[in-house]
Amino acid sequence: MTSATLPAVVPASTKPSAVRPGRILLYVVLIIGALLMVTPFLWMVLTAFKSELEILKFSWLPGELRWSNFTEAMQSAPFLRYFRNSALIAIGETAFTLVVCTTAGYALAKLPLKGGKFMLGYFIVLLLVPFQIILVPLFMIVKSIPLFGGNNILGQGGIGWLNSWWGLIIPLGAAPFFTFLARQFFVSLPDELAQAARVDGLGEFGIFWRIMTPLIKPALITIAVFQIEAAWNGFLWPLMITTSDEMRPLQLGLAIFSQNPAEIQWPYLMAGTALATLPMIVLFVFAQKRFIEGMANVGIKG
Amino acid sequence: MSTTLERPALATSRKGEVAKDKGTLTRSQVRTGWTLLAPALLHSGIFIVIPVIAVLALSLTDYSFGDTWSWVGFGNYTELFRDVDFLASLWHTVLYALVVIPISMAISLAVAIGLNQKIRGIGFFRTAFYIPTVTATVAVATIWLWIYNPGSGLANGFLSLFGFAPNRWLADPGTALGSLMVVGIWQGLGTKIIIYLAALQGVSRDLLESADIDGASRWQKFRNVTLPALGPVQFFVLITSIVGTFQVFDLVYVMTRGGPGSETRVLVLDIYQNAFQDLKLGYASAETVIMMIVIAVFIGVGRLLQRADTND
Repeated sequence: MTSATLPAVVPASTKPSAVRPGRILLYVVLIIGALLMVTPFLWMVLTAFKSELEILKFSWLPGELRWSNFTEAMQSAPFLRYFRNSALIAIGETAFTLVVCTTAGYALAKLPLKGGKFMLGYFIVLLLVPFQIILVPLFMIVKSIPLFGGNNILGQGGIGWLNSWWGLIIPLGAAPFFTFLARQFFVSLPDELAQAARVDGLGEFGIFWRIMTPLIKPALITIAVFQIEAAWNGFLWPLMITTSDEMRPLQLGLAIFSQNPAEIQWPYLMAGTALATLPMIVLFVFAQKRFIEGMANVGIKG
Repeated sequence: MSTTLERPALATSRKGEVAKDKGTLTRSQVRTGWTLLAPALLHSGIFIVIPVIAVLALSLTDYSFGDTWSWVGFGNYTELFRDVDFLASLWHTVLYALVVIPISMAISLAVAIGLNQKIRGIGFFRTAFYIPTVTATVAVATIWLWIYNPGSGLANGFLSLFGFAPNRWLADPGTALGSLMVVGIWQGLGTKIIIYLAALQGVSRDLLESADIDGASRWQKFRNVTLPALGPVQFFVLITSIVGTFQVFDLVYVMTRGGPGSETRVLVLDIYQNAFQDLKLGYASAETVIMMIVIAVFIGVGRLLQRADTND
């Protein structure tokens, strides 16, 4: 569609399918690039099948496929619990985000609010605030949520939402990014639909919930997919606020497992990493279109 | 549900009423609007706006979780500029950004242009380049920790095929930061490629064709048609890359913990340790404010560079 394919339009070169050296070179370069992307994962999987002896020297293929590494890795650290915790956080955060961000996105896109433009600007500015900037005060706020974790009504005396599911889920859910994304999708729906429903006597909330939201189902899936990925891959926040192994998510468990170089067991570590990575790769392969549309939407319209 | 079926009849009979009700209608729309917006406003107020303001205030105090604290003015800031750990972190983060951003943007744009040439197997390539991006940075760091393993890692194993002597990568002060940069570039390509690819598909075909008729070379077309059309997207990619590289933490935490010595110490790691290990929250906040300023400067310079580029 751009430069190099265009000569085909010009009558002079009428053999678009002919094998040209430039084309071969392009494929070679792209294939090398793709291999560079995939090889580390391949090596992770191959290592996961090796024995402790095999990894003392560099080699590609395992002598035999030791499937038992996976079960043994699961036993050497509470990976199952980490899995469960990550799944809980991902589900909780996604549900929370979907509710808060689609409602806000709809209000910004479709309802005649005074200062609506300003509100949109507000969320766009917040979208640019990196999480690392607010690290320290966020911790303090979460620690002083009133009436939780032994806190009094002024938010003092206890630990608030620290080391709790609330703390793991709520503060990082409903990112302004998703409000903006939801708004972008609602904006493209025609106003006539809402108008017709109004004529039918459907209330404003009904219009949002029963008419408009079902129409942006693909967008909801996009938001869910991004939020699941972000929650599943989160590390710094759980590292800061969890103190017990009971609530640690997968990435934190993995990091702890890998932080003991003295007795690090690479096949087990790679087996654990492979298991931790797999759900997101599967999610991506199945929801590829959503990921790409979402990225393109924000990047280009934003 | 029955209302939907009766719609045509109702629509005609109610037309007059609707016009009369316009005032109440807008009012109910406004009420619903604010109700729907309220949770997001409350959430962002508590968990983003207050923290941003608080970090500025905290940076002027010596708060450290204790009961007593006092205002110290710009004391934290003057102390920071004598703190060798902080200065090293700042330097490494800036260096990391200056190397990773241009290289990853250039590679991503090149790959996106390649993928935009009516390639066979585009799905495969897209997946291959995007998988590192959907993988958790902790997992990526763990895999590369093993790749960089001096004894039996892939990096040395592969290079030995070409007769290179084994390297100690992360353990060697000379190569540690560079090794991290490679992983940072490797992991960050996917998102940029996808965005560039979408933008390239939006470049006006008419413009390219008329450039063709005028006898423009490929390079001229790229330089004068494609690149200017990518302007806004370039800026978006640049900003997200700046913010992203300054946030680098997971990678460093898992792979080097800032070592060897403090050769790979970066800002967020330093902030994290000052705040949550040494409990110097005021000090760490001042550090955060400086990070904000540096990010803003980077974005400002990026903007100037882009303007200069589109004007010539």
